[in-house]
Amino acid sequence: MRPLILGGICLCLAGAGQASEWPADAAVDPNAQNRTLTPKVVVNSGRLEWEPYKRDLTPWPTLSHLDRRPTPRPQQANYDPPLRGDPARGREIAMDPARGNCIACHTLPGEPWPGSVGQLLLGYKQRGVSDAYVYQQIYDRRVTNPNTVMPPFGAFGVLTEQEIRDLTAYVQSLE
Amino acid sequence: MRTLLRTGLLLTALVGTAWAQEPAPYRDMDLPIPDYEAHVRGDLRLSKTYPHWRDRSRLDWRLAGNPDEHWKLNWKFMDPPFNQAVHGGHFALERGEYLYKTLNRNGRFAACLGAGRAGLKGLRTRFPQYRQDLGRVVGLEAVIEHCAAAQGEVLQNGSYDNSAVSLYIASFSQGMPIRIDVSRGPMQEAYERGRRLFHTKAGRLNFACSSCHTRNIGQLVRGSHITTPYGDVTHYPVYRTQYFLQSLHLRMMECNLDTGVQPLLPGSQAYTDLEVFLTALSNGYPVSVPAERN
Repeated sequence: MRPLILGGICLCLAGAGQASEWPADAAVDPNAQNRTLTPKVVVNSGRLEWEPYKRDLTPWPTLSHLDRRPTPRPQQANYDPPLRGDPARGREIAMDPARGNCIACHTLPGEPWPGSVGQLLLGYKQRGVSDAYVYQQIYDRRVTNPNTVMPPFGAFGVLTEQEIRDLTAYVQSLE
Repeated sequence: MRTLLRTGLLLTALVGTAWAQEPAPYRDMDLPIPDYEAHVRGDLRLSKTYPHWRDRSRLDWRLAGNPDEHWKLNWKFMDPPFNQAVHGGHFALERGEYLYKTLNRNGRFAACLGAGRAGLKGLRTRFPQYRQDLGRVVGLEAVIEHCAAAQGEVLQNGSYDNSAVSLYIASFSQGMPIRIDVSRGPMQEAYERGRRLFHTKAGRLNFACSSCHTRNIGQLVRGSHITTPYGDVTHYPVYRTQYFLQSLHLRMMECNLDTGVQPLLPGSQAYTDLEVFLTALSNGYPVSVPAERN
């Protein structure tokens, strides 16, 4: 608990005008592994314990009213052909909860427990959808649809350029 | 350590005031924002599942047994009295009773909570509320923390014991409909901020609460059906089969973590605003504790 409190105070004293830091009411311990904390409820205790979370989530904007960091604006990708993507690697990324996790929202062949929020991704190649278009949709779909639910994987630095190329190759391989 | 925490919060408030003057930073908003109603019947225009769970004594159990349909019951089939099995929520309730009676030996704890002549009956249905003495809108758990601290006891917001006391207090409102007024004053302001936050995208994946819980209700995310935000807060604090006892603010932390958003501290203003908004969407729906959820 103590590092958490100190973290809040350090921010207040040193970073009142700093827009690059997480807000003071975030569950963060700057000295913990990954900084982001997750609460741990201890039975019959009046204190809330904290554990390091598996991922550092501090770089992105929070819901705090104190958070002054702007969200990255919609961004056109600099797609440079040819594709140079590996569909097998792309499939791995699509199924990996820690990376693409496309399967959480999209239904993809050969995988149980899919999602149904995202649109069907089959037959893009047959319909003549270009690699550049698919790449942009993964990189930042807000460019073509401002109200999209699709995360801007490229513009937010969630996936690397090569990972998006692999995913594009995978999507283009689905029939 | 408490002093340190207090100092931290005070500084936070001061910095917050200074920042409030600047224009808000750029955020993506999830549009369009539906025409919400500060009453549970508003769901008739959102997910339209309300008729399925309006009356908990008349749930259609054929839906509960069907994995493609049970989301339409808004998980109310895990509310009492249907789940008669003794689950962790019942143990928490006993713990809450013990703690409450210890804290309230001289009656000051109940008075601090705002219990009138009716005692704890109906108290839960009036939270969150604006507290003149605290100068802000607070949820029940924040008030429990405050009133315990006034007696030198530590019941941190989100801790097991805090939620247990909250659960015990809520049990006196079992079956009574939520009644909060968000039509004016600080509560209306909190409601509007909460409504806006519900649609504000954040985190590494740029998701808003509403990204799933308005336009995609009934759809699947990794095999789970998305439910309506209406009528969803009346069973908190809830016993989670995977997580012991969970207050609403801890649930919001879990929501944030699951969608890649850096979570905030329980009792933070943003979470309280969201609590006001979500509680207004449960207006008219009865309190139901101790409940269980997966």
